[in-house]
Amino acid sequence: MSRFTGLIPLALVRPFNALGGLLLLVAAMLPWATFLLNDGPFPEKSTLQYFDAPFELTGFRWHLLVFGVVALVTTFVPLRGKDRVLRALGWGGLVIGLVCGYFIAENGGGFGAITAADGASAFGSVVAVLGGLLLILGSMAKPLDEIPEWPTSLFGLTGMAARLEAYAYLIVAFAGVLWLVTQTLTAGGIGGAAFPYAGPIFLAFLGFAGGLLGALHGIGLTRWVSHLSEKHRAFSIIVLLACAFLLPFPFTGAGSQYWMQVAAVIGVYAATAIGLNIVVGLAGLLDLGYVAFMGIGAFVAANLSGAVASQVGLDLPFPVAALIAAVIAGIFGAIVGSPTLRVRGDYLAIVTLAFGEIFTRAAQNNIGELTGGASAIPGVPQVTMFGTAFNEKITLFGAELPSGVLYYFMIVLVVGAIMAVFANLKNSRMGRAWIAIREDEDAARAMGIRTGKAKILAFLVGAMLAGLAGAIFVHKLGTASYDSFKFLESVTLLAAVILGGMGTIPGAVLGASLLFVLPEKLREFDDFRLFFFGLALVFIMRFRPQGLVPDRHRRAELAGETAEGKPIETEEEQAVLEHEERGHAGPSAPKEDRA
Amino acid sequence: MSAAQHRAADTVLEASGVTMIFGGLTALNDVSIRLEEGRIVGLIGPNGAGKTTLFNCLTGLYTPTRGSVRLRGKSLPSDPAKVTSAGIARTFQNIRLFPNMTVLENVLVGRHIRMKQGPIASVFHGPVFRKGEAAARAKSRELLEFVGLRGVETEVARNLPYGDQRRLEIARALATEPEVLLLDEPTAGMNPQETEAARQLIFRIRDTGVSVVVIEHDTKFIFSLCDTVSVLVQGEVLVEGSPETVRDDPRVIEAYLGKPREEVEADVAEAAAQQQREDS
Amino acid sequence: MTTLLQQIANGLVLGATIGLIALGYTMVYGIIQLINFAHGEVFMVGAFGGLAVYRWVLPESVRGDWYISLPAMLVGGVVVAVVIAVLMERFAYRPLRNAPRLAPLITALGVSVALQEAIRLWFPNADAAQPFPRVFIDAQVRLGDVSIPASGLLLIVVSVILAVLLQTYISRSRMGRAMRATSQDRDTARLMGVNPDRVIVLTFVLGATLAGIAGVLYGSFITNVDNSIGFQNGIFAFTAAVLGGIGSLRGAVIGAFIIGLIKSLGGQYMPGGTQYDYVWIFVVLILVLVFRPQGLFGEAERVRA
Repeated sequence: MSRFTGLIPLALVRPFNALGGLLLLVAAMLPWATFLLNDGPFPEKSTLQYFDAPFELTGFRWHLLVFGVVALVTTFVPLRGKDRVLRALGWGGLVIGLVCGYFIAENGGGFGAITAADGASAFGSVVAVLGGLLLILGSMAKPLDEIPEWPTSLFGLTGMAARLEAYAYLIVAFAGVLWLVTQTLTAGGIGGAAFPYAGPIFLAFLGFAGGLLGALHGIGLTRWVSHLSEKHRAFSIIVLLACAFLLPFPFTGAGSQYWMQVAAVIGVYAATAIGLNIVVGLAGLLDLGYVAFMGIGAFVAANLSGAVASQVGLDLPFPVAALIAAVIAGIFGAIVGSPTLRVRGDYLAIVTLAFGEIFTRAAQNNIGELTGGASAIPGVPQVTMFGTAFNEKITLFGAELPSGVLYYFMIVLVVGAIMAVFANLKNSRMGRAWIAIREDEDAARAMGIRTGKAKILAFLVGAMLAGLAGAIFVHKLGTASYDSFKFLESVTLLAAVILGGMGTIPGAVLGASLLFVLPEKLREFDDFRLFFFGLALVFIMRFRPQGLVPDRHRRAELAGETAEGKPIETEEEQAVLEHEERGHAGPSAPKEDRA
Repeated sequence: MSAAQHRAADTVLEASGVTMIFGGLTALNDVSIRLEEGRIVGLIGPNGAGKTTLFNCLTGLYTPTRGSVRLRGKSLPSDPAKVTSAGIARTFQNIRLFPNMTVLENVLVGRHIRMKQGPIASVFHGPVFRKGEAAARAKSRELLEFVGLRGVETEVARNLPYGDQRRLEIARALATEPEVLLLDEPTAGMNPQETEAARQLIFRIRDTGVSVVVIEHDTKFIFSLCDTVSVLVQGEVLVEGSPETVRDDPRVIEAYLGKPREEVEADVAEAAAQQQREDS
Repeated sequence: MTTLLQQIANGLVLGATIGLIALGYTMVYGIIQLINFAHGEVFMVGAFGGLAVYRWVLPESVRGDWYISLPAMLVGGVVVAVVIAVLMERFAYRPLRNAPRLAPLITALGVSVALQEAIRLWFPNADAAQPFPRVFIDAQVRLGDVSIPASGLLLIVVSVILAVLLQTYISRSRMGRAMRATSQDRDTARLMGVNPDRVIVLTFVLGATLAGIAGVLYGSFITNVDNSIGFQNGIFAFTAAVLGGIGSLRGAVIGAFIIGLIKSLGGQYMPGGTQYDYVWIFVVLILVLVFRPQGLFGEAERVRA
C-alpha cells in the first residue's frame, strides 16, 4: 500500500470520507435496476417494487445503509484505527456495488440496466461504487494508524472476575461468529436454476462480511478476541464446539439437509487442508498430489467397509476402517516423500505431482480390482453407531434435526481433533524442527535436526490426516470414484491453504470453506472455477502472500517487512535492496500496512 | 612422558592433514589443528584463505578430500546433524538464524537434540511432554540471560539489532550443549564496545568448560583472546603458536600484517573476488 | 524386431518434442532456480497459436502448400509463445524474485492452470481436441520395415539442430556469456555490468521460441491438439531436465531422448501397456533423484555456509 500513500492531500481526507459514507447511504436508498430482468426482479426490492416500498431496506441495501451510517459517524468522531475502519467499509461497499452492478448490467443486457433506461433511473450500484472508492482513497493520504491494543479486562478486573469477564466476551464473540457463518451459508440461498441471483447475493454478502470484519479488525477487536481466546484456550474450544453443535438447530436457519450436506463436505476438505498445511505451511514442502492420499484413504475404507463391489470381503466397523485407511495413506506419504531427501524441495513438487497422476491413472484403470475403475465403488454403507445410521434424521432436545446431521457432528469433532493435533505439533519439538527447516535448512541441520526424517514425518502426518478425511468422505458420499481425487482437487486444496494463510488453522478452514462454498453458490461460473483458482494463486502470491489470516511467523517473511529490521550484510546486498526498492515495488518494498 | 600423555588426553578436537579440493581448486591443503580442552584457538588469515572451508569440514558440511577430523579420538560422521549431536556447534559468518521464529524459539530449536519428545508425545502434549518442554524453555531462557539478551524472548529474530543477532546465534549454538564451539567471525560489523562484550562472553563460555575455535580478521581481538593462534594462508597453515609467537613471526608480518596498506587492500579485494567465485 | 524399431522411432520423435521443451525448463532453472511449471503451457499455447494462424490468417489457397503454411504457423506459434512467456515473466515471476522459494513455485502452478483453462474456455471449440492441419503429415518416410511420418522426422532434425545452435549461442555469444554469468551469481554479474533483467527475459524468450516451434511441429505430428498436451509433456520435459542434470543443455536433450524411448518401449513391453507407460518415466525420475540427484551431466550442488 505504501506505493499509494500520499496519493491524495491530507486536507481532502475528511471530505472524501464524509462524501463516501453519504454516497453509500444514498446508494442504499436508490433503486438498482431500471427494469425487470429476464430472470425476475433483482432481490431486496431493488427494481420496480422499490417504488412501492422505498424504505424497506433488506439484504445488501440494508448492509450498505449500515456501512454508510457507520462511515459518516466514524469520519467525525475521534477513534483510534479509524482509517482502517473506513478503508474496510469502503472495500465492502465497493464489492457490493460492483458485484450487484455487474450482474444486473450483464443480466439486463447493458449499462442501461444500472443507469437510466425507459424513463426510469437506477443509479444504486454506480453510487455505491463511487462511495466505496472515495472511502478507499481517503485512507491513502497517510500511512495507516497502528491497530489499537485493548486491555485484557475492560473494567480492570483481576483474578476470577477477569476470567468470567473474558468468558462472557468469548461467548458473545463466538455467537457472533456463529451468526456470521449461518448468514454466509444461507446468503443467496441455494444456487442454480431455482434462484438465479444466488451468486451475486452471496458475493455481495461476502463483501459485507469482509467489510465488517475488516472494520472490527481496524479498531483492534478481532486481535483482542484472539488474544482472549489464546489465553483461555480450553474454554474457547468448548464454546466453539458448542457453536458448531448449535448450527444444525432450526433457529439458525442453516438447519436443513442441504446445508448439512454442504457443511459436511466443507468440513472434510477443511480437515484435509489442515493436513496439507502441515506439509506446506509448517515444513515448507510443496505437495501437488496431496489429494491422492485422500483418495487412498477413501479406497481403503471403501474396500474394508463391506461395499458390494469390494474384493476384500471384510466388513470392519467404521473407526477401524478409518484408522487403517489413515495408516496406509501415511505409509504412502512417507514413501512419496523419501526420494527427495537428498535434493532441494522444488523437486518434491514434481515428484508429488507425478505421484498424483499415477494414482489417478491407476485408480481409473481399476488397479488390483481395488478402485472400481470408471464405474467406481458404489454402495459404501453408511456409518452406523449405537444402532443409528448416520444419514437418518434425529430428534435432539425436542428439535427435529435434518438427515446428515450426524455426519456433520462427527466431522466437527474430527476437524476439532485435527486442529488440536496441528496446534500441538506446531508448538512442539517437531513443529519447531519443521519451521526451522522451512526457514533455513542448512542452519537446521547445523542444529542437529535430521532434516530427512523430519520431512518424511511431515509428509506422513499430512498424508494420514488426508487418509482419515478420505475415509469419512467416502462413507458420507457412499461412492468411491477416482473422479473425486484429481489434480483439480489438489490445486483447490492448495489454493485454499494459500488463500487462508499458510501455517494457520483458521486460515486453512476459512480457505477451504470459501473455495468449496463458492462453486455451490456460483453454479453459472462453475466452468470458470479452475481458471479463477489459477489466477487467484498468482494474485495472492503477488499482493497478499500471507493470506487472509496471516501467521505470526510467516507474516514477516512473506510480506517482506521493512529492510530496517534486517541488517545489511554486504554491499552487494545493499545494492540489491536499493535496486529492488527503486526499480519495482517488489515484495521487499516497505509495507507499513501489514499488521 | 607423563606430560605427553596428559596432553593427549586433553585434546578435544583434532584435524589432521585435512585437504579439500573443489574441482581444480585446492581450498585446503594438509591442514592440521588441535584444540585442547578449555582452550580458545584462533584462526586468522586473509579472505579466501580457507578458514570457513575448514569450519565446514569440521562440522560435516563438507567431507574432506583427504585427512580426518576427530572429536575426543573418534572420527566424525560427514553429516552436520550428527556432528552437532556428537558435540560440535557453530555459528555462521553471515548470521543464519531462523529469521521468522521468535528469539526463544530459535534457542529451543537448538535444544532439539537434547530433547526426547517424539511425534506421538508432540501430538498429545502429555505430562511428560510438558515437563520436558518446560525444562527446555527454562534452559533456553537461562542461555539468553547468559549471552545478555533480556526481554526480547517474543521478538521475531529478524527484528533484532545486528549485535543481538550474533548473541542469539551463540545462545542457539550453546543450547545444543556442545563440547566445542566454532565461531565464524563473531565480531564482524561490531563497534568496540560490542567487540569487548563479545570477548568477555567468549571467556565466560570457555569458563563453563566449552572449548572454542574463533575465526576473525581483527588480529587485536584474536591476540587478546586466544591461547593459540593458527595463521591460514592460501589453504595452508603458515604459522601456529601462542599469540606472541605468531605476532612476531616475520612470515606472518609479511604475509598478513606488514605489507603497506595499499598492497593489503589489493590483496583483500583479490581474495574477495576469489571467495565469490568459490562460493558460487 | 520391426515392432522394436518402430517403437524406437516413435520414442525418438517424442524425445525430440520433450527435448525442445526441456531446454526451456533447464535454462530458466539455471538462471533463476525456478521450476517454471507453466513452461509446458507455453508449448501448448504455441501449438494453438500455430493452429490459429492456419485457421484465421492463411488464405484458403495456400493452406495446402506445406512450404508456405508450415513456416507461417511456426512464426505464429513462436510469436504467441514468446508473448505469453514474456508477460508471465514480467508480471508473475519478476515481482517475486526476492520472495521465499515457495512463492514463485506456487505462482508458476497458478499460471499453468490459468493458461490451460483460458485456452479451453476461449479458444473456439477447444473444450475438445482440435484437429491440427495435416499440412505435412501425409508423407511417410520408410526406412526398411520402419515408417516414420515426415513430420516426425522433421521434428527430430529440427530439435537436434536447434539444440546445437542454442549450445553454440550460449557458449560463444556475448549475451550467452552474460547468461552464464547471471546463472553463476546474479549480484556479481550485475556489478560487472550485466543487466540481469534483460538476461532473464532473453532466457524466457529463447525457451518460448523453442517451445513454440515444438508445439507447432508436435501438433502436425499427432494431428490433433488439446489443452492438456502442455501439462503432460511439461512434466516429461522436466523429468528429462532432471535426468540430464538440471542446468545442462546437453543433458536436457539426451535426457529427453531417453525419456521418449522409455515411454514408447515401456508402453510396448512393460506390464500394463500404454495405460501405465508414464509410470516408468516417473520411476526413472525417482531413481535419478535417489541415486544421482545431480543428474547425468549436472554438477553436485554445493551448500553455502
